[in-house]
Amino acid sequence: MATIELNGLIKRYGQTTVVHGIDLSIQDGEFVVLVGPSGCGKSTTLRMIAGLEEISGGEIRIGGRVVNDFQPKDRNIAMVFQNYAIYPHMTVADNIAFGLYRSKLSKSQKRQRVEQVAEMLGLSQLLERRPSALSGGQRQRVAIGRAMVRDPAAFLFDEPLSNLDAQLRTQMRIEIKRLHHRLGTTSVFVTHDQVEAMTMADRIVVMRDGRILQVGTPLELYEKPIDVFTARFIGSPTMNLLPARLRDGGADLAVGGSVQVPSASATTSDILVGARPQDLVPTAAGSQGLTVSGTVAVVETLGSETLVYIESAGQTVIGSAPGRQIPRIGDHLTLHAPLERLYYFDKVTEKALAAQ
Amino acid sequence: MSVDAHREAASGGLWSRMSLGRKQVIWAWGFLAVPLLFYAVIRFWPTFQAFYLSATDWSLMRPAAFVGLENYKRLFADPLFWQVFRNTFMYLILGTPISLLISFVVAYYLDRVRFMHSFIRALYFLPFLTTAAAMAWVWRWFYQPVPIGVINDILSSFGIPQQPFLRSTSQALPAVLAPAVWAGLGFQIIIFLAGLRAIPVTYYEAARIDGLSEGAILRRITIPLLKPTLVFLVVFSSIGFLRIFDQVYNINTNDPGGPLNSTKPLVLMIYQTAFSSYEMGYAAAQTVVLFLILLVISLVQLRLMRDR
Repeated sequence: MATIELNGLIKRYGQTTVVHGIDLSIQDGEFVVLVGPSGCGKSTTLRMIAGLEEISGGEIRIGGRVVNDFQPKDRNIAMVFQNYAIYPHMTVADNIAFGLYRSKLSKSQKRQRVEQVAEMLGLSQLLERRPSALSGGQRQRVAIGRAMVRDPAAFLFDEPLSNLDAQLRTQMRIEIKRLHHRLGTTSVFVTHDQVEAMTMADRIVVMRDGRILQVGTPLELYEKPIDVFTARFIGSPTMNLLPARLRDGGADLAVGGSVQVPSASATTSDILVGARPQDLVPTAAGSQGLTVSGTVAVVETLGSETLVYIESAGQTVIGSAPGRQIPRIGDHLTLHAPLERLYYFDKVTEKALAAQ
Repeated sequence: MSVDAHREAASGGLWSRMSLGRKQVIWAWGFLAVPLLFYAVIRFWPTFQAFYLSATDWSLMRPAAFVGLENYKRLFADPLFWQVFRNTFMYLILGTPISLLISFVVAYYLDRVRFMHSFIRALYFLPFLTTAAAMAWVWRWFYQPVPIGVINDILSSFGIPQQPFLRSTSQALPAVLAPAVWAGLGFQIIIFLAGLRAIPVTYYEAARIDGLSEGAILRRITIPLLKPTLVFLVVFSSIGFLRIFDQVYNINTNDPGGPLNSTKPLVLMIYQTAFSSYEMGYAAAQTVVLFLILLVISLVQLRLMRDR
């Protein structure tokens, strides 16, 4: 177990810089998720921590040691890949034992360790099988087993759930989380799926274009996104952002009506007012909140709730209605969000003005 | 034949009443009938004809008379056959491992070369596209004594005595084999490269994280995962060396088969028996023997190298 520190980490491919000086400090035993759209540099960052990519600048410390010039094998990390990277010509037991390739344990000790790990992952019955006889979830578990068997300082996960179907993904998510609670090993997990990030992370690192935008607990990111990108990226469906114009003590919305704005230090008078679909509901709110009305264009029934897309002054606004009250398409509907659930952003800089 | 029958049935309204599955089967057999017919007439019939001929004394001039196993008895008693048999196996035993080893090493390193990768690959492939006759001539000149022969030129510049190569009974076979190996290299390299490319990069990355050395990665991951490619190339190149002919025939046009038949392979013997001596029955018997050798060796190799 160990801490991981990134100081001014840079990665260049020729003239193109893909990671622009990242600073990040990961605590011992922490589960950190790097999340962002494809090409944001999250996988590259992980691969630099693993030692699979050379570092162009900055410094990586694992457990306090600078590992910049260490071979992957000397960093005492284990990695789980998106395509599992388990060897088709070896049995499950051999695949897991591969993690112990460099260890000095005796053959029987290794065997014992493999069995122990297999037990923990529910693979005991499958040890003599070939990967081709396993399901996707079982293969992923073998890959995790190979990572676990060595008792590494840190686990690195590179989109390990992306090849699984939706149901298995949810199940593996829970298994990985449970495993982390049990082992307490420092883990870095890369994904492009914000749901995975929210559900698994102790702390989320939101990345874009090779830079870190925001670091925080899932709830911090949800409640206090520092800019429009994070606000839209975290939470599903995406937060509504309504253009508005500042005036004394409040703002006039482009879709009609006005809202109070607590304290504003915008560069211009153009702002964006944000409201999450879950907060925008068809019940009457106080006069201070946000009110949007329009015609219902699309209804998505989820059972637990119903997502309602309404058209208002040329803009689509997403709100939610209770699961059993399904509005009809074409109906006129008014949605409200309470004042304390609103977000405000500068339209030009896209930075948050003052959350809540 | 069957196609016409189905067409008739179709016009009678039977076609429209058939199930989709049945229609698909009929279409499939309709298309398969063409190559099947072709193979039956062009390939299988002559093959069986050869088996029959091998039991006759046909010589183009007079009608064939059945002689039973006489041709085979004569063949196994012929010292030339055993010489040729040995030569053929020398081509196989030397050629297959050497060519596979060289092509694997080239492919393994070429796979890592980014600089002019396609160009280098094309260079290796070029001999494969060249006609054997032209290649044999060039190599024949290589093997000449000083001042024509390049190889002897180089040897003499190092003070090494002149080598007879094609004129020696012991050096002729390797000297003929070298251009044959060289000519097949490009093809084998391409196949190896494709096999290497098919191995996911993450397998290597995972191995590097687990601490395997380059040698261990090669031994424990690359080669086992290349097994299907390897099986294909071993069988393919073995058949190629067992059937070697044009390289041998062209490199010694005035004396095909080398000094004292030291380079003569089975196919060349068949060719000479059939088209110099016109002993068609005897040649057919030799062909049957070659066929059996090829069959047995291919089956044994497939058996040995098949996955558990």
